[in-house]
Amino acid sequence: MTAPTLICSKNQENGLNIKKMKNSDSIGFKLLDQFRDGRNDKIWWRVFALLMIATVATRFYKLDQPDHVCWDEAHFGKYANFYINRTFFFDVHPPLGKMLIGLFGYLDGYNGSFHFDKPGDKFEEHQYMGMRIGCAVMGALLVPLSFLTVWEMTFSLPAATFGGLLILLDHGMLTLNRFILLDPPMLFFISAAIYSMVKFHNQRHRPFSLPWWSWLSSIGVMLSCSVAVKFVGIFVVIFVGCRTIADLWEILGDLSRPVSYTVKHFMARAICLIAMPTLLYMGIFYIHLAVLSNSGPGDGFYSSAFQVGLKGNYLHDGSTPRQVAYGALLTLKNAVTSGAYLHSHDHLYPEEIGGSQQQITTYAHKDDNNNWHVKRHNKLAPSWNSTRPIDFVRNGDLLRLEHFATGRNLHAHRSLAPITIKQFQVTGYGLDGVGDNNDIWRLEIEDGEEGQILETMLHRFRLIHYNLGCALTCTKKKLPAWGFEQDEVTCNPNRRDPNAIWNIEENIYPRLPNVSFRAYEKNFFQRFIESHVVLINGNSALKPKEGEATSKPWMWPINLRGQFFSGGQLQVYLLGNPIIWWGNLVFMVFYLILWVSVGVRTKRRITVTQREIMLQERALSACGWLWLGWLLHYLPFWGMSRVLYFHHYFPALLFSSMMSGILLDYVIESIPLSLPKNSFNASYAAILSATLLILFYRQVFFHWIFYLFSPLVYGLVRYADTNSTMHHLHWLSTWEF
Amino acid sequence: MGDTEVKNRKVNRNKNKNEKNKEIPNPAVDPRDEGDGESTPEALPEELTEEPILKKSASPKKSEKKQRKAGSATAGQSLADLPTLAVTCHFNLLPMLLFGVALATRFYALDQPNSIVFDELHYGRYAGLYQKQTFFFDSHPPLGKQLLALAGYLGGFQGDFKFDKIGSSYNASVPVFAMRAVPALTGSLLIPLVYMIMLQLNYSQWTAALAGFLFLFDNALLTQSHYMLMEPIILFFAMSGVLCVLKFRALERSGNAQAHSYSLRWWGWLLSGSIFLTCALCVKYVGVYSYLLGLALVGHDFWEKVLGNLSLTKKQVFGHAVARFFAFFVVPLMVYIGVFYIHLTTLVNAGPHDSAMSSAFQASLEGGLSSIVRGQPLEVVHGSQVTLRHAHGSPCWLHSHAANYPVKYADKRGSSHQQQVTCYVAKDINNWWIVKRPNRTDLAVAAPLDRISHGEEIQLVHGITGRNLNSHNVAAPASPTKQEVSCYVDHNVSMPAQDVWRVEITNREEIGDVWHALESMVRLIHVNTSVALAFSGRMLPDWGHNQHEIVGDVMVNQPNTIFNVEEHRYTRNEDEKDRQLELMTTDFIPLEPVVMGFWEKFFELQIRMLFISNENVQNHMYTSSPWEWLVLTRGIAYWVSPDSNAQIHLLGNIFIWYSATIALAAYCSLLVFYLLRQRRQCFDIHEEAWNQFRTTGEVLLLGYVFHFLPYFFVDHTLFLHHYLPALAFKLLLNAALVEHLYYLTRLVFAKQFFNWMCVLIVLTWMSGILMVFNKFLPLCYGLGPMNATQILDLKLRETWDFIVHKP
Repeated sequence: MTAPTLICSKNQENGLNIKKMKNSDSIGFKLLDQFRDGRNDKIWWRVFALLMIATVATRFYKLDQPDHVCWDEAHFGKYANFYINRTFFFDVHPPLGKMLIGLFGYLDGYNGSFHFDKPGDKFEEHQYMGMRIGCAVMGALLVPLSFLTVWEMTFSLPAATFGGLLILLDHGMLTLNRFILLDPPMLFFISAAIYSMVKFHNQRHRPFSLPWWSWLSSIGVMLSCSVAVKFVGIFVVIFVGCRTIADLWEILGDLSRPVSYTVKHFMARAICLIAMPTLLYMGIFYIHLAVLSNSGPGDGFYSSAFQVGLKGNYLHDGSTPRQVAYGALLTLKNAVTSGAYLHSHDHLYPEEIGGSQQQITTYAHKDDNNNWHVKRHNKLAPSWNSTRPIDFVRNGDLLRLEHFATGRNLHAHRSLAPITIKQFQVTGYGLDGVGDNNDIWRLEIEDGEEGQILETMLHRFRLIHYNLGCALTCTKKKLPAWGFEQDEVTCNPNRRDPNAIWNIEENIYPRLPNVSFRAYEKNFFQRFIESHVVLINGNSALKPKEGEATSKPWMWPINLRGQFFSGGQLQVYLLGNPIIWWGNLVFMVFYLILWVSVGVRTKRRITVTQREIMLQERALSACGWLWLGWLLHYLPFWGMSRVLYFHHYFPALLFSSMMSGILLDYVIESIPLSLPKNSFNASYAAILSATLLILFYRQVFFHWIFYLFSPLVYGLVRYADTNSTMHHLHWLSTWEF
Repeated sequence: MGDTEVKNRKVNRNKNKNEKNKEIPNPAVDPRDEGDGESTPEALPEELTEEPILKKSASPKKSEKKQRKAGSATAGQSLADLPTLAVTCHFNLLPMLLFGVALATRFYALDQPNSIVFDELHYGRYAGLYQKQTFFFDSHPPLGKQLLALAGYLGGFQGDFKFDKIGSSYNASVPVFAMRAVPALTGSLLIPLVYMIMLQLNYSQWTAALAGFLFLFDNALLTQSHYMLMEPIILFFAMSGVLCVLKFRALERSGNAQAHSYSLRWWGWLLSGSIFLTCALCVKYVGVYSYLLGLALVGHDFWEKVLGNLSLTKKQVFGHAVARFFAFFVVPLMVYIGVFYIHLTTLVNAGPHDSAMSSAFQASLEGGLSSIVRGQPLEVVHGSQVTLRHAHGSPCWLHSHAANYPVKYADKRGSSHQQQVTCYVAKDINNWWIVKRPNRTDLAVAAPLDRISHGEEIQLVHGITGRNLNSHNVAAPASPTKQEVSCYVDHNVSMPAQDVWRVEITNREEIGDVWHALESMVRLIHVNTSVALAFSGRMLPDWGHNQHEIVGDVMVNQPNTIFNVEEHRYTRNEDEKDRQLELMTTDFIPLEPVVMGFWEKFFELQIRMLFISNENVQNHMYTSSPWEWLVLTRGIAYWVSPDSNAQIHLLGNIFIWYSATIALAAYCSLLVFYLLRQRRQCFDIHEEAWNQFRTTGEVLLLGYVFHFLPYFFVDHTLFLHHYLPALAFKLLLNAALVEHLYYLTRLVFAKQFFNWMCVLIVLTWMSGILMVFNKFLPLCYGLGPMNATQILDLKLRETWDFIVHKP
């Protein structure tokens, strides 16, 4: 943090303007004058310190309560375990946030022993505080960061204080930042990126100096970190991108410099904002993949070649034979990226979609129902104890696959598939392995020679239905509830479909020696890209379940409905501070009105005082960017078809709160200016003191409101009767606490 | 098609030769100059032979304008430097010719196929319902359907045809030709419209004709215009609106804007612009984007030309603001309400979609709910048999059936295992409940009537199973934070019945304290636990037959707890078995028919259209995403002949679509290039050319963006035909870019040879378009018979799913 005086002196014009403005209207109270002026180091630091104390007090008060798993802690705590135990897992978010949580736990001496099974589980003797503290620290840093951001944008101490206070006093921010969630790190990185951005902007008069470079790189680092926590970090990247383009546009317009100068600027930004963050982002994934070196529950989401690199996986350990022989127990994996295992279970297709035969699906989790027994089309499977020579499965063979758990054969017939009705239905048919002609499939190894022996993992093959000539395909469409939302499997007349390619992953056959496939391990880049395809597919598959109540984006800004973090005796309910949230909305509308009215006045060349122009410029340019930031972090959610939650609004709230801080300051400063000139002197002092009173009361008011709602954050004991104090807080009937 | 085109040219030439004498005195009359009061440059033909003048002129306004005209005329002229065609072509002929071809293509075999094609299923049905004056509910505004219905009416349609499924044949009672003539005519009128829009944007008549050509020979636009669909109508209104707004802008921007202000033409263009744009909105809500475009253009001009004009006084500026506000807010509102006024006053009979509306709304319709409720008793008494309708949001009725809650739910919570109570979306015998005082055992209603009033306690007996509505402190099946509601079954587990409810009437001020059927909005408050009977919005899984969940909710004061009595009968018979029979045969106390004013109906319909209807066609086979529209990844199968593979498939002219996408990219790159260069004070093109280029961007690129971008933010199912309004702007942009590129060629290369090259390339491109158009023509008209190879021959892309169901 740079001392404020330093900034002012460096920023000649800004500093001068502020100085001029401030000197013109002293109010008499020295302290308030200094507060409004903001250039007094002592006052600045005092305000900052007060804010920090309040932050620490609110963020860390009763941090250990509730002492049970709250809401998504169940997920992220579990993921931290995986990092600590170095076990591979699958999640729809990029790894950095979870790595940090894991790191916090690790530093605290947490050994990954708590299971985080479901919300409400008591932590008991487990070391969970490290993770909570880590997240709370990141969340607490939002307050000074917003304070500093607003300061750098306006150089107005009151505005900065308001900006900081609005973040500090919001219950939503507080609640969200006290638990083991991804949001604290994400919000931290987002606001750090914005802070770096304004800081960098203020270095524009000394380009290519050391601070210029360091703030520029800091933006890059923070951007890549925010994306690496959650993909919504992409919005702040776009935000910074817009700002960068605007900056470059300014530089380009400076005709005193050659074009090459702009190019130089452009290159600097390209390096620090594109190249370096990309490398950093890949580095984070590198660490992620390097740390998670043990096989775990996430294996199945990835291709067989990916799994080779995981310790404990049968492909890595050499617990699978290389060649496939009749009688072996196999799992078949769809060979496209993020393909899943061929699966069946003891449930039938519903009556109305053709034949009540057993369902065949693909399923990404490893499961006993993924096992298939391979047999010649006309023989029973040889026993594992037989002494006859081993009969290998060869390219072009006709074979049957029997589902091990239910004894049904993989079967296809001339009926419509459940969803992709242009293709044929695949079912499980027969009894104890006895079926009919429609169970026969021909093996076609990709680029294979006739008679070549099928090999585990290495060979990619198609299964062509003997009677229909179609290929066994996973269409990647989700079956409805009756199919447990697993993916549909069909027999596709188009045999060239890339989804019709499979490979053998697991191969159990005791008569053959087990070998390891480590030589075929994927390199980092292949793993990096595959991770992303799997992540993105997983993310878009997060659809709301039937009948599940989803939160709609329009509900968020009006604080219509919160979200339960914890039920039971100690309730925690995520809900914004209504005064702040509704105030933010008012200020957003106010900004638009101000923007239009200033526009009209400029267009009509209506003259205003120097001071007014100064105030307007300060507020308008800063708020314009914050408005854009809010829009970028809010609007895209309207177009998302995945399931949405209330807490997705919080990055946008950061922007709108900072904007409210600036506008609040603007309003207070400009009320006296709007009075007629003749009564100016008389009313000036009165107005200002009234303003200050309001200002003071507003603070009190904030505190009061904050106090009223604080049980939501720290957990409220479930009230039995309607006379409880919380009952009066049901301002909106939709608040469910 | 190619042949006729050549023939047309020839005809054109001859005709022009004949007209030559007449036309020569004023050879380059430009429609935009008509009535401008300014003289047209006279020595044009001589000037034309020279090289274009490249130096920038800083001459006064008048000469600048002259030069601009010369420039554009030059462009047109050189494009047409073919010897005989050169001077003789009169601007009026081109659009007439285009219009003629448009009529020919749009009206060709209009009544074929004589069966329901795609969404004719809906629109035709709605047109039929208009004839019958039967109320229906659709989430789009009614103007387009009204036009169809009007055409149907004029054609003698009685509305007797049942639109059951796509592909079924029309019978003689349906005036297919008349009804399809509406989109066909509007679709044809589009072509002269776009021609005039291009002229209005200062492009030459050749470019304007090119734009018309692109519209004319795009297969998607043709297909859409050939059947009873809304897109041609909406496009027609939108384009007319844009044209009027452009005309209005021309007045605003002309030299003596002051003189034109508030003149008849000024008002005419302004009002007709806003009315047309509102009409587009009244066909489908997506028309709002055209309206916004118009608003943006007029607003921008206001900002620049009126607000920025310091010679105007404050009062004058204010006057202009009010005039525009009136034209763009008041008039549209009036048009919009007018359209709905016609809609609601026409449709007075009850119909199939009534249940989407409130009971009062239904009761106001002839013969619908009113036939059921007419004469039913008004006051709810002890012994009333009622159905209780969830009064807000999606319609459903309090329901129970002989099935219990499962002992354990999927999430391992337990239940009371008592009889399920749900909210069911269909009318069903199990929706009947009998109102009963807790202390009385007889149910028959006898004089004196034992009326139920606000605050009194009742029990509700399920009519068929005879069990009482009950609630208790058990978590509800799908909303664990709420309380379960059941029909009480005594399992002997020391769980006593808690089946007394208190009636709270929320609209006592209007209705009074006594519980009235239909009108009283009631809350049922559980006496033991003070929860309210509520609809939770969640759906029960299979065991609850996917009906909606009913819970006891602590939050009493919310819309989901309000119910009203819809159907109502008095119990006459004490015997349980006779009650069923009795339901049909009681004589009722007459009730005055419900009259609902237009405004009430209007607002209720608005709310339901805008907020509640989101029926989503999931997993439709022919859905597509906005990105795919750019490269025409998927079409939509509209119809297939039962006898052969002849079919109608919505598919654009792939050649046009690809060139338009490329043109869009080229325009954007050029725009960025010019902007960057101008930022460095380098001006590569003439000011007029730049102004033209910029205006093009303001109107066409902005129009495209307005009509395209929002689709990335909607979550309902999208189809290719949603892209057509955006496509219209893209095609215009494409034509505009061709002229700009031609201008650039002349700027860069001095030799005449390159101009010729340009013309040649454009002609080749156009003939390519014609070939592709011709190839896919069978898919527009559903011409047949076709065999499988012919169809597969058209399958240029793997993702186009034509239907091949015959060899």
